[in-house]
Amino acid sequence: REDGGRVQNCGTFGVLQEIFGSISTADGSALVKLGNTTVICGIKAEFAAPPTDAPDKGYVVPNVDLPPLCSSRFRSGPPGEEAQVASQFIADVIENSQIIQKEDLCISPGKLAWVLYCDLICLDYDGNILDACTFALLAALKNVQLPEVTISEETALAEVNLKKKSFLNIRTHPVATSFAVFDDTLLIVDPTGEEEHLATGTLTVVMDEEGKLCCLHKPGGSGLTGAKLQDCMSRAVTRHKEVKKLMDEVVKSMKPK
Amino acid sequence: MPGDHRRIRGPEESQPPQLYAADEEEAPAARDPTRLRPVYARAGLLSQAKGSAYLEAGGTKVLCAVSGPRQAEGGERGGGPAGAGGEAPAALRGRLLCDFRRAPFAGRRRRAPPGGGEERELALALQEALEPAVRLGRYPRAQLEVSALLLEDGGSALAAALTAAALALADAGVEMYDLVVGCGLSRAPGPAPTWLLDPTRLEEERAAAGLTVALMPVLNQVAGLLGSGEGGPTESWAEAVRLGLEGCQRLYPVLQQCLVRAARRRDAAAPL
Repeated sequence: REDGGRVQNCGTFGVLQEIFGSISTADGSALVKLGNTTVICGIKAEFAAPPTDAPDKGYVVPNVDLPPLCSSRFRSGPPGEEAQVASQFIADVIENSQIIQKEDLCISPGKLAWVLYCDLICLDYDGNILDACTFALLAALKNVQLPEVTISEETALAEVNLKKKSFLNIRTHPVATSFAVFDDTLLIVDPTGEEEHLATGTLTVVMDEEGKLCCLHKPGGSGLTGAKLQDCMSRAVTRHKEVKKLMDEVVKSMKPK
Repeated sequence: MPGDHRRIRGPEESQPPQLYAADEEEAPAARDPTRLRPVYARAGLLSQAKGSAYLEAGGTKVLCAVSGPRQAEGGERGGGPAGAGGEAPAALRGRLLCDFRRAPFAGRRRRAPPGGGEERELALALQEALEPAVRLGRYPRAQLEVSALLLEDGGSALAAALTAAALALADAGVEMYDLVVGCGLSRAPGPAPTWLLDPTRLEEERAAAGLTVALMPVLNQVAGLLGSGEGGPTESWAEAVRLGLEGCQRLYPVLQQCLVRAARRRDAAAPL
């Protein structure tokens, strides 16, 4: 236990459940329930021309949506501040952790590449949205199957074979751990909505497999000492191991389609 | 989207791989025109909403949440003649605000989040169908917010959304005269085809006309009707409405069971 820190649900960092492959219209999907917080991620893959400044790369476009149905404090309309922050956070995680090499998404340099639209929708908001979104994204990406594409020489058009599909090459498995800070002293892991509301600051640490730090997100709030920060990071490493185990179990229990 | 700087930018345009796919989609199989797909309904599953419901019918998955009653926006309105039964005067009655959203991954082709006209039309249809069922006079100057989210479109999405919204309202404890049950129909193009109850997505895509009916089963009154397309003579439309109403009646017991189960679950959790 941290000094004054509290771990939820006796030892595990909040009960985490994942359901893979729930949506058949999406190329990959996952539903993650972290306590009460529920996030669904659907990934659709489309073709596009690669960006002119990086002709051998594809696109990964995340979008976090916090609709009014997840909590009464969100209104319908364009994405509010919180949704934009979450979207940018996910974009940073994807970029920094190199979860997918964008070069893998390129089919024909300069002409055709895959775009992965990752749409994360929060269905129930009870705090710790960033952790849940990261898990959902990771689980959905593991689930994505892209059809085989060949560029025929005669017509220079793409030919898609929907029958042959292959999984994405997921290089790393970033796992996010969030903490709520109270007045420089108290740290709570995996805060619920109420705890987040009362906290004076939050911190999110995204860890990789080999204990490498991918991303640290601390949007203002009260300060933390260096020692506390180190503590958080070691917590994040433990959390990563637990989540990875859970994910491997779920993947194994799913037969390949 | 070109001017939208609130979302992460992607490429200017993109095409789905299905456009380039070699094989053709199979035509929908012939089936009994009055078959209803088995429905899975569950109420009371979101912790943050006052009432919620999830409905799954074949491939269509809809989640609906209700919040409120909340102070209505808008200025003071003058009183009018009071309604019967001690309800607020007509001008002070509560409002129902409906929001219909389609998840970007819900259909075959990705739809960017601001859905545009179609979502607004469906939201309005939801509101028109739910208003007769809710006792808005009991919520003066308040508004109830109903948000429906379509997670996967497997055909008859509006009908499923209507049913889910009514279940969510009931789950929230909002006073209602009756539940609203929705049913979708579609008619394939051709010389003299029949109307199909509860179409799948394939059938809906190839349809020449579509219809959604909303029925209040106990009162046996039609709460809403939305249809479009080339349906043929008026008798054909009347036949379709009759078929739809029958379908709604058949769905009703499932929904009753769902609400009873949700109430039991809530009871079991409450005394803690």
